[in-house]
Amino acid sequence: MPAVLRLLAKRLVTSLIVLIGVSMLIFAIARVIPGDPARIALGPNATAEQVAALRERLHLDQPLVTQYANFVADLSRGDLGISLYTNRPVMQDIADFLPATLELVFAAGILMVLIGLPLGILSARYRDTWIDNLVRLVTLLGVSAPAFVWAVILMLLFAYFVPLFPIAGRISDSFAIPSVTGFLLVDTLLAGNGRAFLDAAWHIVLPAFALALSGIGQAARLTRSNMVETYSKPYIEMAQSYGFPEKRIARRYAFRPSLIPSLTIIGLDFAAMLGNAFLVEAVFAWPGLSRYGVAVILRKDLNAIVGTVLIISAMFLIINVIVDLLIAYINPRIRYSQRQS
Amino acid sequence: MIYKGKMSFAALLLAGAAFAPWLVSTASAETVLRVDEVAVGELDPAKASDYADSVLMFNVYDTLVLANQGAPGVQPHLAESWETDGKTYTFKLRSDVKFQSGNPLTAEDVVFSFDRMKAIGQGLSYLFTQVEKVEALDAQTVKFSLSTDYSPFISALLRLPIVDKKLVMENLGAGDGDMKDWGQGWLSTHAAGSGAYKVVSHNPQEETVMGKNADYFLGVPAKAPDTVRYRYGLEAATVRTLIARGEHDISSQWLPPEVLKSLAGEGAQLLTESGAAGFYIKMNTTKAPFDDVNCRLAVSKAFDYAAATKIVAVTDTVSQGVPATGALPQGVLGALPASEVIKRDLEGAKADLAKCKYKPEDINIELSWIGEVPLEERFALLMQANFAEIGLKSEVKKFPWALFAEQVTKPENTPNISQIFVNAVTGDPDTLLYGMYHSSAAGTWQSPEYLKDAKVDELLDKGRTVTAPEERAAAYAEAGERLKELAPTIFAYDQISVFAGSNRVKVPMMTDPSKAFSLIGMNFTFRLMEMNE
Repeated sequence: MPAVLRLLAKRLVTSLIVLIGVSMLIFAIARVIPGDPARIALGPNATAEQVAALRERLHLDQPLVTQYANFVADLSRGDLGISLYTNRPVMQDIADFLPATLELVFAAGILMVLIGLPLGILSARYRDTWIDNLVRLVTLLGVSAPAFVWAVILMLLFAYFVPLFPIAGRISDSFAIPSVTGFLLVDTLLAGNGRAFLDAAWHIVLPAFALALSGIGQAARLTRSNMVETYSKPYIEMAQSYGFPEKRIARRYAFRPSLIPSLTIIGLDFAAMLGNAFLVEAVFAWPGLSRYGVAVILRKDLNAIVGTVLIISAMFLIINVIVDLLIAYINPRIRYSQRQS
Repeated sequence: MIYKGKMSFAALLLAGAAFAPWLVSTASAETVLRVDEVAVGELDPAKASDYADSVLMFNVYDTLVLANQGAPGVQPHLAESWETDGKTYTFKLRSDVKFQSGNPLTAEDVVFSFDRMKAIGQGLSYLFTQVEKVEALDAQTVKFSLSTDYSPFISALLRLPIVDKKLVMENLGAGDGDMKDWGQGWLSTHAAGSGAYKVVSHNPQEETVMGKNADYFLGVPAKAPDTVRYRYGLEAATVRTLIARGEHDISSQWLPPEVLKSLAGEGAQLLTESGAAGFYIKMNTTKAPFDDVNCRLAVSKAFDYAAATKIVAVTDTVSQGVPATGALPQGVLGALPASEVIKRDLEGAKADLAKCKYKPEDINIELSWIGEVPLEERFALLMQANFAEIGLKSEVKKFPWALFAEQVTKPENTPNISQIFVNAVTGDPDTLLYGMYHSSAAGTWQSPEYLKDAKVDELLDKGRTVTAPEERAAAYAEAGERLKELAPTIFAYDQISVFAGSNRVKVPMMTDPSKAFSLIGMNFTFRLMEMNE
């Protein structure tokens, strides 16, 4: 079996075990935190009889192990139950809300790579100059303030004082785009509506940027420090002494080895954004899964909590596997170690 | 290279500035009203209980009666008239009402709506516990038989929306029995009403979009909004910016007073809704020191009512609370007269404390506040300062709502002091007082006082059984006076909901008291609003 495939198989098996563990853990935690989900769902005016009837319907009167067994049986049929928050099947909620979050996270991820890495390279290339200092200051700001603070600042600057960008939702009310993939940027193109595509793209700029700023800062700082370290390696000096052009040295000999730690961090940031997006989604009224996840946790909507956590965990693991494969592709030592094992 | 980058950024901003208005413009002649609420609206009328649910229900569905404007009580709506002997109510329905589907509204639909609500057993179905049977006598006549005399029944009908039986039966989902799921799955995203607005789309994470029902039996004025977008879960900062940019029309009532004030300063109108809600600071009468009435009277008199209303003041003239006269807010049947506003009496408080069987130095009051309502922390701190002035120690404790609702089910776990906002869900005093103060209702989030008083019970039972409004008003007024003597609660203020509104919309029900409905949420009757553009 090729080394990369062996690595993939290993990672998939580990991920499955992690996912099973997460499902058991979240299933138990959701049920032991204070508060009766039936009481919360039915509201403060519900009678004791109404609450008892709903508890029975949700099987909350059964032992935890029986409840988990029922959950696994339902899950195997693709049924995550009904959300008490939206009164719809959790699967339908996830199918509706996940694409919005993924679209936002992908956009933020692209910004992170397209801005973070070049800033890091620029900073390393001109280290200890005013360019380096400026980049370090800007990236430090990005890292030190959480995404929701940036969300509010960006909203104030570019939506309130200078009303340049829209501040709520994914697209203007005047557009009615049929949902095919759930990704509006894709659906608008599939519908052949260029204005709607531009409008959707315009809507995603501020939330994606707010979400990406911390990652941009991290990626830039890490890339810079790795490249500075790589530039001090003897083989770079040797390449310089051979008179290789600066661009070639930077691209071929300095950037590639420096990319490995950056890629790991970008991968982790990318996955973490799935969970961290909720405050940005809340500020920009972005109808995504992260916002849904927080809403269902506050309402102790058990089925929806478990469903959301499982999906976000699965996405996290998938992204990690992809990053592992990319790193294995870039770093020959990993490929070699797989072949050895 | 850097210069080029700067140029590109500047070009992008300029391009954006040029494109932005084009991208966000709707270029449409139809009028759109944009409103928001924090909680997601429940579309199924049998499950409606929250504010957003009520607003949806009042606009998409109709009820047999409608709340009066400018006065307590109800008026005929789907029912043209009714007769009663106290235990049975026979309603004659209008014959000109059609559902949005085109199906005629008949007595069978009323029977089905009641049976459905009772079978589902959620929302405000508990209001109909006394109803034994509902029968269709003919297509336009329906009879409700009650197990006992129950005067609040007519008001309770404000919470029985009539659904289109035929349409629901065509859309039953999986479930047991003939009625399967009673159409719950379908009605969670669709509507089967006869109301002035139809549901165009419903996304629980985003908004419910409604459009005018041109065939509404009472007609929908041309100036009423053509489309209503009822948005959910918007952050205060977002709503504030949207209103300032002219992209939102009416905020939820949950905006902090500072934000409301700031918006008012920028020209937004402040809309108010009052009449059936209060802020109650409740004492556990089963535990020391509040098992002694003198101690309860002492803290009731020590509380600074004027400071409380200042805390929720938005401007010099608009506040989220006005001084209370007792358990019933002003405007509700049986409320004590406005001349009896409760005021702070520090000397009286000290005198009552001296009569209390507990020594002040032995008392440490547990002041709880609900974590989800940050405003309550400010009141807990106000109480701590007020009580310290008469020599009482206290300790502020935060409870998440879910934990609080569980704690109060046992008197020994119930804090000394709990803070609760309560509203009369039908506008009738019974729905406010019975659940809070009748002995049989003790131990819920509404009744952490665990009050047991025969006289209060008698008066509340009388309010349920006598039918003449004057007699009912007298019974509730007497109950109000008795509650002031017993002091199980600090009646902090009558709650006023304040909304920030753009100047594109006129809402007479929230600006003119003579047009205000006596039921919370009904003032968002969109067909009676007027768009200025």
